[in-house]
Amino acid sequence: MKELITKVTWNSIQHYGDSASVKYYEFLKNRIFRTTYCDTCQKRWFPPRKYCPNCFKEMFKWVEMANTGTLYAFTQQERSLRFGKPDVIGIVELDTGERLLTKINAPFEELKIGMRVKLEYIEIDENITLHSFSPVK
Amino acid sequence: MRRRGRKRRKNVAYVAGVSMTPVTRTLGKPHKEVAAELLAEALEDAGLEKNDIDTLVVTPPNLAGPPSFMFVCALAEYLDLRTKHINMVECGGTSGAMAIKTALNEIFLGRTEFAAVIAIDQRFDLQPGQVDINVFMHEALQTQICLYGPYDSLYGIGAPIPYYAMSAQRYMEEYGATEEDFARVAVMLRNHASKNPLAEYRDPITVEDVLNSRYLSPPLKLLDCSPFASGGACVILANPYVTRPLPKPPVWITGVGEWHEPDHFIPQNGSITSFTSVKKSAEEAFERAGMEPVDVDVAEVYGVFTATELMIYEDLGIFPPGEGYIAVKEGKATYGGNVVMNPSGGRLSLGHPAAATPVMEMVEVVRQLRGECGERQVPGARCGLVHAEHGMLNGSIVFVLEV
Ligand SMILES: [Zn+2]
Repeated sequence: MKELITKVTWNSIQHYGDSASVKYYEFLKNRIFRTTYCDTCQKRWFPPRKYCPNCFKEMFKWVEMANTGTLYAFTQQERSLRFGKPDVIGIVELDTGERLLTKINAPFEELKIGMRVKLEYIEIDENITLHSFSPVK
Repeated sequence: MRRRGRKRRKNVAYVAGVSMTPVTRTLGKPHKEVAAELLAEALEDAGLEKNDIDTLVVTPPNLAGPPSFMFVCALAEYLDLRTKHINMVECGGTSGAMAIKTALNEIFLGRTEFAAVIAIDQRFDLQPGQVDINVFMHEALQTQICLYGPYDSLYGIGAPIPYYAMSAQRYMEEYGATEEDFARVAVMLRNHASKNPLAEYRDPITVEDVLNSRYLSPPLKLLDCSPFASGGACVILANPYVTRPLPKPPVWITGVGEWHEPDHFIPQNGSITSFTSVKKSAEEAFERAGMEPVDVDVAEVYGVFTATELMIYEDLGIFPPGEGYIAVKEGKATYGGNVVMNPSGGRLSLGHPAAATPVMEMVEVVRQLRGECGERQVPGARCGLVHAEHGMLNGSIVFVLEV
């Protein structure tokens, strides 16, 4: 089952995502954490997109997202499609302003809203690397 | 509860007939047969014949499952229904409400006298003749893996519970609510459901039962959540220019409001304890109706989790921000209080067949406003509200109903 999940994930990203999602995961695979930036509007957009939703010009530029941020909220899943229990996930507000859902590498009981967290990577398979965050000690 | 004289307004319609199934684990029969039964019951309730219906709007038979190619056309054939408008509407949790709104628009266009809206949801795996999921596991997984988008889904989001759990956690942090406060919501809704023969969960529960139920996604426990269920409902909407006398008094839809924020689940900037879509859709619906939140006697809202239910009460303007849980604690949201919220038992205890839920909400409010609810009747109810949402309350619809 786990093998099948891994196998269909890359298909799924291509099928349900778009060219920017594919590129985002290609960057992550190389441990690069970036999103798209509109030169015309001088604005960062997350999730990444091919076209700026403000001026609809193509965004050729990808900019770094901060590798540090603040834990906005978190929970733990009893059951998860990908990770076994305990599967701690949270919303992190990056220091560059983006909010994202991520895996948190710490026991649920040790977490607090507002904690400082730092980027780490989890390799899933040859195509997929995901971001995750750990509390800053 | 203040009363105002009814003004003459454009764009009103009324509900002429309603029907709904009990909420159960499975309906145990094909969608088309359920639809035929629901339509027959609603027509009888309205005192109408099938040929009076000139618009048919439905929701897809499998809301989050495989597509249901041209289901509404197959259904029209099955019912031998000639229509000026036919449509199948899907927008996540608001689907049933969007179907009602689509039918209302046909009435407002002046093209339709009577419109039937039918919404049925049946647990995918419990449908008769359902293909064994193991046979097409690959496709099913590929759909499931990105159901919550290519960014969130990869973290194992297979159901919306974690989003709402984090929303509940923030609510506790921001307003000082506790898990016990959430448990009181579940108990209140169960009390309401105990008097509703159509409800899936009717046995009384205590705050301790809720607190002792297992965590699905903390702080949300099993009894804070509404499990998947099956059920269907139908409403027949009427053009106000229809002059023919009908057996039951009309229940007027006097206000409609809708709003969608572009965030898909997690907002990039906005709060996750208060939602623009609920506020804006409620403000619009109240303004169109010439009513205010204080005028509402009875409401059915799309609170799929206990904590979410409270946030909806607040964003509708029925209770002040951060005070929903205090209102429930003080008995203000139940019989004998300011307003009765979810007299049907709500999503938690009536049960939650997602596509059908908004239509079931309207059925309950119509029956309340007609005074047909027996043991769970809200005394003297004159003004009702129906709310539905999709995403993590990224979008909402509100209807104000009056007799
Ligand atoms: Zn731009």
